[in-house]
Amino acid sequence: MKFSLVVNGREETIELLAPPPGSQFRLGDSPAREAQVEMASRGVYSVLLDGRSYDAFVEEAPAGLIVSLHGFRFEIEVRDPRRYSRAAAGRAGEGAQTLASPMPGKVVRVLAAPGDAVEAGQGILVIEAMKMQNELKASRAGKVLSISAREGATVAAGEPLATVG
Amino acid sequence: MFRKVLIANRGEIAVRVIRTLREMDIASVGVYSDPDRTALHVRMADEAAHVGPGPSAESYLRIDRILDAARRHGAEAIHPGYGFLSENAEFAAACEDAGITFIGPSAASIRAMGSKTAARQTAIAAGAPVVPGIDHAVSAEELREFASTHGYPILLKAVAGGGGKGMRRVDRDADVAGALRDASSEAERAFRNGDIYVEKLIERPRHIEIQVLGDRHGNMVHLGERECSIQRRHQKVIEECPSPLVAEHPEMRRIMGEAAIRAAQAAGYYNAGTVEFLVDENRKFYFLEMNTRLQVEHPVTELATGLDLVRLQVEIAAGARLPLGQEQVSWRGSAIECRVYAEDPFNNFLPYPGKITRLTRPLGPGIRLDACVYEGWTVPMEYDPLLAKLAVWAETREAAIARMIRALGEYDVAGIRTNISFFRQILEDAEFRAAALHTGFIEEFFQRTKTPEAPADVAAVAALVAAIYSDGRRANGAGPSAAGPSAWVRTGREELLR
Repeated sequence: MKFSLVVNGREETIELLAPPPGSQFRLGDSPAREAQVEMASRGVYSVLLDGRSYDAFVEEAPAGLIVSLHGFRFEIEVRDPRRYSRAAAGRAGEGAQTLASPMPGKVVRVLAAPGDAVEAGQGILVIEAMKMQNELKASRAGKVLSISAREGATVAAGEPLATVG
Repeated sequence: MFRKVLIANRGEIAVRVIRTLREMDIASVGVYSDPDRTALHVRMADEAAHVGPGPSAESYLRIDRILDAARRHGAEAIHPGYGFLSENAEFAAACEDAGITFIGPSAASIRAMGSKTAARQTAIAAGAPVVPGIDHAVSAEELREFASTHGYPILLKAVAGGGGKGMRRVDRDADVAGALRDASSEAERAFRNGDIYVEKLIERPRHIEIQVLGDRHGNMVHLGERECSIQRRHQKVIEECPSPLVAEHPEMRRIMGEAAIRAAQAAGYYNAGTVEFLVDENRKFYFLEMNTRLQVEHPVTELATGLDLVRLQVEIAAGARLPLGQEQVSWRGSAIECRVYAEDPFNNFLPYPGKITRLTRPLGPGIRLDACVYEGWTVPMEYDPLLAKLAVWAETREAAIARMIRALGEYDVAGIRTNISFFRQILEDAEFRAAALHTGFIEEFFQRTKTPEAPADVAAVAALVAAIYSDGRRANGAGPSAAGPSAWVRTGREELLR
């Protein structure tokens, strides 16, 4: 089973040759390696690789997975090779900018309406959490295509709130 | 002694106060807003009272509702914690009027230290050094004269100001007139008051504060200093006792301690309080302000002195005399505290409230954890993002840093983002270890450091775990899988069904 990954913005491939606990895997074109992998508890993996012990923590995030170990944090998008091509094609064809919430919070103000012409850098929405406000801005000039968020609505991190085209 | 005390606060500080009250065999009353019904302080308190909806202005800041809860539950005293009503003179006065003891200073002392200019006058009267300045509207002529006496750089500030509006740094005579004009018109627009005053600008200052403790019989001691120079957005994130600078120059503790006591006594102060100083590169110190309450970072003082500040606060409020004189106060070893926030250090420290899906706490030698979180709890979006204060104690600063790094490595919080991994980077930084601290440290740290590259095997394990995790998810119905379910996949499925 082969996976193509985007690890902290870099593309990589990994092939799983044998399932855990006696995992065999190959990274890119490098030689196959073996690791002992056990799931210690939900999302927590104990990995023994070349005699060294690693505790890895996995979390699901809107953009993929977050793996933390040894003080490092990896944002990893796992692409299914078959489904990926379609998704990528769809994304490339849209050409619109999606404004997503940078944090979980509440929509405190909506500053534009669908159909409005906006400048690059113009504020579209204001999100608030824990006494901090954050203004979402259009990254380029265009027209507001849609606004799905309403004032007072609770939103998740990464949730799409508006599109500008 | 009181039999029952209400805590007019929430979060980790409410939990911390409840713990000491329990040790003192005093019943505790917690208060809560709608989103805090299942907060840890409510679960831990002996009694709990609802004080309103989520917004603080309608609950934790409602003096009438807090006092009403105290009366209904028969609380004889109120501990205000920090933040919320803790430095509100009107609240302290309302407690006394209601016959309920306010565990803190008098309303008059809070007022005397409440505004920056009033506090500055009190400090000057007490002979404490303040940053040289002119406390009234100045002309360009006066500015140049001031600079010739005290030297550049100088800092122009709006008399009516706040938030950096109308603030200008000036480095030479030629820029004075222009800077004054700009600052004044900016202040005029922002506050409808263009008056500008001036202070000597302290470059790369350290923030060092002195803990004082006084009883209602005129006795006061200081409990030494805390170094709080590591700040982001003007908020402290790492604190230490002793200050590494003071550890090198021990006479500073006595001199600053005595200055702090003089300033506090000039305000007729009793109970616990903190006098904050800026310290320049020549180790000259200047009074900044006084916090008339328990500080967030009080645990490092407790770890180094062995005292329980909350217990002392309660005893003093009940009329007791200080149980120790200045000669009996002693310090041992080195304590460091990290403030763990629900925020994303990889995304400009933006807040990140949400449900905690997994929690592993650091344990073992020398660890103290003051927290308000538990697995399955949802961190509300209405309040401050402080989740926990992780403090460590060890014989030396070096050992304390090593211990903190060890503890941070054991700390796992999933479901939300925290600044835990960021602290590791700071603590491993050579400048931090060399104690080259100042309030702009974090800003400079970001400019001079790149995110360290992970060793190849660490990155390999991350990729492997991500692939195995995704494979398991797919085998559980999220997509096609080539392999039949292994024992491991079955475990994964059972986990998902829980």
